[in-house]
Amino acid sequence: MQDIALSLLLFTPLLVAFVVLFLPSTAATAFRYLTLAVNFLQVIILLIILRAYDPALALQFVEQQPWITLDLGSWGVLKAEYFLGLDGLSLPLVILSVFVMLIATISSWKIAKNVKGYFALLLILNAAIIGSFTALDFLLFYLFFEFMLLPMFFLIALWGGPKREYASIKFFLYTLLGSIFILIVMIGLYTSVHDPSVTGKLVHSFNVLHMSNATNFISNSILDPNNVWQIGWYTARQWGFLLLFVGFAIKLPMVPFHTWLPDAHVEAPTPISVILAALLLKIGGYGLLRIAFPIFPDSAVYFGWFVGLMGVISILYGGLNAMASKDLKRLIAYSSVSHMGFVLLGVASLTSEGVAGSVYQMFSHGIISAMLFLLAGVIYDRTGNRMIGNYSGLSTKMPGFTVFVLVAFFASMGLPGFSGFIAEIMVFLGAFKSNSINGPLHESLAIVATLGLLIGATYYLWTLQRMFFGPYNLKGNLSGAHMPDVNQREYSMLLPLAFVALFFGIYPQPMITIIDPFAKHFAEFVLSAGKSLMLNP
Amino acid sequence: MEDIQSYEATYFTTCLVAAVALPLISFFLSFAISEKYSWIVSFSAPFLLLLSTVAAGFVFYAVWNHEPVNIQWHWFTCAGYTFTAGVLLNNIAALMLLLVTFISFIVHSYSTAYMAGDPDFRQYFAMLGFFTFSMLGIVVVDNLLLIFIFWELVGFSSYMLIGHWREKPEAAEAAKRAFLINRAGDIGFLIGLMILWANTGSFNLTDIDSLSGYSSWMTAASLCVFCGVMGKSAQFPLFSWLPDAMEGPTPVSALIHAATMVAAGIFLLARVYSLFTPPALDVVIIIGTLTALAGALSALVQFDLKKILAYSTISQLGLMVVAIGAGAPQAAMLHLFTHAFFKACLFLGAGSVIHSLHQAQHQSNTALDVQDIRNLGGLQKKLPFTFIIFLLSGAALAGVPLFTGFLSKDAILNSLMAWKGSDLSWRWLIFASAFLVSFITVLYTFRLIWSVFKGEEKVTASLSIEEPPVAMRVPMAILAATSCWLFVSWNPFDFSGWIYNGLTSVKHFHFTFIALVSAAWIVVALIVAYRIRERSFKSAVLLNGFYLDRVYRWLIESPAFQLALFTNKVDKKWIDGVLHTSAYLQLIAAHVTGWFDRVLVDGAVDGAAGLTKGIGSFARSFQSGKIQLYIFWAVFTIIIFIIWTLL
Repeated sequence: MQDIALSLLLFTPLLVAFVVLFLPSTAATAFRYLTLAVNFLQVIILLIILRAYDPALALQFVEQQPWITLDLGSWGVLKAEYFLGLDGLSLPLVILSVFVMLIATISSWKIAKNVKGYFALLLILNAAIIGSFTALDFLLFYLFFEFMLLPMFFLIALWGGPKREYASIKFFLYTLLGSIFILIVMIGLYTSVHDPSVTGKLVHSFNVLHMSNATNFISNSILDPNNVWQIGWYTARQWGFLLLFVGFAIKLPMVPFHTWLPDAHVEAPTPISVILAALLLKIGGYGLLRIAFPIFPDSAVYFGWFVGLMGVISILYGGLNAMASKDLKRLIAYSSVSHMGFVLLGVASLTSEGVAGSVYQMFSHGIISAMLFLLAGVIYDRTGNRMIGNYSGLSTKMPGFTVFVLVAFFASMGLPGFSGFIAEIMVFLGAFKSNSINGPLHESLAIVATLGLLIGATYYLWTLQRMFFGPYNLKGNLSGAHMPDVNQREYSMLLPLAFVALFFGIYPQPMITIIDPFAKHFAEFVLSAGKSLMLNP
Repeated sequence: MEDIQSYEATYFTTCLVAAVALPLISFFLSFAISEKYSWIVSFSAPFLLLLSTVAAGFVFYAVWNHEPVNIQWHWFTCAGYTFTAGVLLNNIAALMLLLVTFISFIVHSYSTAYMAGDPDFRQYFAMLGFFTFSMLGIVVVDNLLLIFIFWELVGFSSYMLIGHWREKPEAAEAAKRAFLINRAGDIGFLIGLMILWANTGSFNLTDIDSLSGYSSWMTAASLCVFCGVMGKSAQFPLFSWLPDAMEGPTPVSALIHAATMVAAGIFLLARVYSLFTPPALDVVIIIGTLTALAGALSALVQFDLKKILAYSTISQLGLMVVAIGAGAPQAAMLHLFTHAFFKACLFLGAGSVIHSLHQAQHQSNTALDVQDIRNLGGLQKKLPFTFIIFLLSGAALAGVPLFTGFLSKDAILNSLMAWKGSDLSWRWLIFASAFLVSFITVLYTFRLIWSVFKGEEKVTASLSIEEPPVAMRVPMAILAATSCWLFVSWNPFDFSGWIYNGLTSVKHFHFTFIALVSAAWIVVALIVAYRIRERSFKSAVLLNGFYLDRVYRWLIESPAFQLALFTNKVDKKWIDGVLHTSAYLQLIAAHVTGWFDRVLVDGAVDGAAGLTKGIGSFARSFQSGKIQLYIFWAVFTIIIFIIWTLL
């Protein structure tokens, strides 16, 4: 079981998507239940994985099969592998994916337009996300990474709101631009890295673990650490890092590459918003932690302050933009930009607290943002309008809904007791400490970043005040709208999310146990390898 | 803990857990009970709090004047450091534990009558329970990170309780302001935590206690922690939220905005006192003095019954901070203790006035602002019980001898006396300010009681006003009784009673003449207050709390909002603008290449084809099949040939 667990997790949705294609499109209920069954099956597989997972070991559930092997004669051998594995970075994100995909399926229950196509795409997306989080071969990762774009594009472009075409194309092109950067670096890495396990023959490998080891670089290849020639201001390695950084920062998204996010969110249907915010953004952070930083530790240390600074800018800029948003979904989208800034800040600190905080933040933001977008969806379902100014005093009509909104808003603004607090405090501690352990960040970055907490509280409380408090009143052409409280299906999605956010805020140990060994190793490795490569390449 | 036998240890832990957890259980229970049976809450909530108080009593008994108890549980391990969740109970914590549970119980009981008929009755008690739980959390835990956690939770429950009447827009606004200003302070606290973490790698209070020497990071950390205190304990310039918070139900004001939450800052200062370096303490005392003066002066000109009390609370909190700054946390804690009782009592008394007048209003269908003291007067006859309550607790607030307030204020003045030294310096100014504050305290207390209960009855004359129900009277009576000096010390002129001596191990300094001077000073103040009772002070600056709200609006809020609009514009105009421009450029490039393709490339290809075609059709034109033409060409060619050869 252990040696196929990940493949099972990955291929079940693909297989079912294939089956779905052969069912008549009138069998709408069947698609829903099939997708739900896949989600539950994934939960079961995940539970089995969790039972066997040992946090003390580094990489587990490894599946390594030859995938593409091409002998190119004097150019060596091209070797890409089907290489999956789980460690303290990928496991939390896989847990998150399985959980959120389940919620998204429930949330998609009321989709009525072209049900067959919708659920087929949802299943493909599911597989691509799981694949991205588990792949350890760069080519395989890239395949899944790109593969995610396609279903996402159609899910927004076909099931979205009025401006869906603009939003989906913007999303697609933006992400594609990032992918191109990543592709360039991948090709560069391919030419520069050889597989040390094969002797006597030059084997070019896509194995991320090989790439993360400076001794595996072919001497005088373009990305060899000993290679001193520069392109413009920077060495090739530094350019490589920057390209990867921008590629993943677009996905994260980082200011100023974030403008696709609010548009995509506003136009996407609720379940897709949930997936987008909870999972797709995390691939940006995951890419930085898995690929950009370990492969180029020297550049990571060199540009660490820049990464941290961009994190702080994202935190503040995203927060300010959220404050100025008039559309509830846009506000939440910008708050995502703000919260993902913490991921950057934590990673850049290169301390184990900071890195653990980053990973924790990715998990926590996945849960909380899913909840926020579901809540925005609840309102949208009832009135078809998301403008904050059109509502007032909702708490009197929808007390249950208000409780969830309170929970989600306060969780998102980092109130202790919710998972976001644990993540943010660790990021802050790490970022502040970074300088004292010769990490790249100055203390002032952490101090300035704390303003983000104040801005976060401001826009959420202001929204609460405007939409939920005061006398009940609906403006615009909504005045006659019927506003029933949260129904059972909505409860079944919101309650587990609220519970998880609360549980990991009060008792973070189970998640920390998984993350901590990775964070510790990552911080130490990048810092020491980076410093030594910078000193004597 | 080793010397306590395991049975006793279990018993102790059970009591402690019960004291802290019962309010939380009350929170869950109040939510779980359905709307139909909401009357159960009015019994269950006070009952659970009573149990909690009893348990706290046992804990207090076990801890008071014994070795501090430190129990730690493992919370989570990260980055090689084990974050513990632990309790540290020493005398200060035990005293606060008892104080918070007791006042909370009193307020719970009072609220059952005060809030009767409220549509959100259950939610009110739920949040009251949650508040008590978080407050107890601050009191018992043993490390600063946990304190910070409960600190924020207290802010959250305060937000929910201030905004309890959700339909009132003012309540929502006040709740938001309170939370944001508190959060601004908390950010300072958080930075303090980061400094502490980077320098010591620990948050434990015991580790902080064992810090030795003064270093600059300690000054920075302590001042940052003090920022948190400034928010929560409403110190200058972060106090403007407290008068606004009076939009909440009055029992909430009694519990949170008089007795406990605002006192949390003082408690925290006493708890981490060893972190504070002398320069930091100087800042603390200056802020405290400013607060005390500003609060007292503002209280003098307010017209709203509750706002007078709110500004008075600010002023008293300032005095406590002054005591901390003067190096006498025990004096601050003593004043915190006495203040909690008499100020809670005053608020409950104010609640009683408001409640009675509201009831009377309901019966007679008149509308007037019952909290405006200009509408009140001569209520002594109709509300004799409430009057006595006000008199007793007001005397304690004013610091009249034989009341607790006198003793605790005396303790603060004594500590200042010792602190200022004998050389003339700026410290004398602080010392004098403390006396000035106690003078003004008498003035505004007198003015408050006089204008509510004495003089002519004005708009209320026609109303039939009745004393509030027993459920409200008994809690007030109990609190009023605690204003008696015996509660603190046997000797009415010596503050060093059981509490004071329990809080400090230092041999206390006591200047008897301070007590005498202070007593005489109070008497003078009373006489002055009586003489000027008809005069009303008017000052728009003081009435509006130094326009701090406006200052925030000008300096922080509107710039921040402008910035937000600006970033929004940057997003829409610039970032998306660049994006759209590049998209357009691409489009133009596409059109250009399209044109190139169409005109030049296709043109060349078509041109070549056309050329061939032209040549072909030209050549074809020779073979039209007409014999005349062939002959013509033949003749023509021969002619050309002949001409060619001949030339």
